[in-house]
Amino acid sequence: MRPFALNYARPAEQLEVSAPYVYDSVLQLNVMPDGRLAAHDYAVLRELGATTSTAGSKTHFDD
Amino acid sequence: MTVLILTCEQDVTADMVVAKLDGRGVPVVRLDPADLPGAVALSGEYVHGVFRGHLSAGGRMVSMSGLRSIWVRRPGVPASRVAEPSDWLTEESSQALYGMLRSTDARWMNHPDAAVRARHKPWQLQVAHRSRLPVPATLITTFPQAARDFAERFPDLVVKPVSGAHPQEPPRAVPTSRVAPDADFGAVAYGPTLLQRRVSKQADIRLTAVGDRILAARKAVAPDADPDDVDVRFAASPTPWRPVEVPPRVAAGVRAYLTEAGLSYGAFDFAEDAHGIWWFLECNQSGQFGFVEIETGQPIADAVAAWLAAPNPAAAPSNGKALITENQR
Repeated sequence: MRPFALNYARPAEQLEVSAPYVYDSVLQLNVMPDGRLAAHDYAVLRELGATTSTAGSKTHFDD
Repeated sequence: MTVLILTCEQDVTADMVVAKLDGRGVPVVRLDPADLPGAVALSGEYVHGVFRGHLSAGGRMVSMSGLRSIWVRRPGVPASRVAEPSDWLTEESSQALYGMLRSTDARWMNHPDAAVRARHKPWQLQVAHRSRLPVPATLITTFPQAARDFAERFPDLVVKPVSGAHPQEPPRAVPTSRVAPDADFGAVAYGPTLLQRRVSKQADIRLTAVGDRILAARKAVAPDADPDDVDVRFAASPTPWRPVEVPPRVAAGVRAYLTEAGLSYGAFDFAEDAHGIWWFLECNQSGQFGFVEIETGQPIADAVAAWLAAPNPAAAPSNGKALITENQR
């Protein structure tokens, strides 16, 4: 009874790496421990895949 | 006039835009509807034909009439972080928040009604076709025989979720996948199945449209790429995203699409074939763009910020909006 499309499903990659930044409600931005803005640290964003087209797949339809 | 951003705290793509708005000196209120009620509070009154509303989050208070634009990015489910969540409270909170926001004159990226409609992939294909964007032959069916007939006409097919969503129990990903030539289509009866003629592509195209601004990036398919690796999101590829010019006919088609869909933002996926034709695959009305900007340097966050910061000609100068209520008719 498994739908056809699920024949092509694969286990979702669970990202175990925790983000090194925290949300600052005053700035309304995520901030690194040294005070830099996470959005300006492309190396970290790349490593986490936080801006990629699968980043929101768990809860959102829009990639 | 303030820009309201509805998204979760960990949304660093939204950060890219908030930083740009800060740089422009534009007031921003960022909140997650998941925190309503609690860290997010609201109040609105409809009295004597005038609506007055306020939102509070993170120590900031903003008048509903002071909103110039609303960006619906990655909002959480309303009331999902309360101590005792319930479907009822979620609906109550959702109706209160989005109902009041709909009562404003703020510009939306994207309006919730347009967003809901735009998520329907079958509808996307029709709009793309009407917008003169090339669309690969597609079948969505629960008839196994229809799938078999389609596979005879188009022997090289891919399958993908109709909704674009991925199953969560257990968590799985369903990439766009090449259908084996000897596939048994019997299981098509157990769920709507989207089959599409595979485009033998030489590149993936990610086109991001922000208002009138259109920016496209191209990721060439590596010469030694496995033809079964159809989905660029899940295939490891050494080739980078690079900026690419948008052919005028595609740009015209994209603008027609956005107009018909009522969208101010759209992330379009195309497959470029050997003849250079861009085949429409889908349009994600809230698609990610951060990874493109990081790789290409294209100023997408700035384009979003510019759209959100633009003056709202419909906004009322005073703290209120005239309404016609029942007792005045």
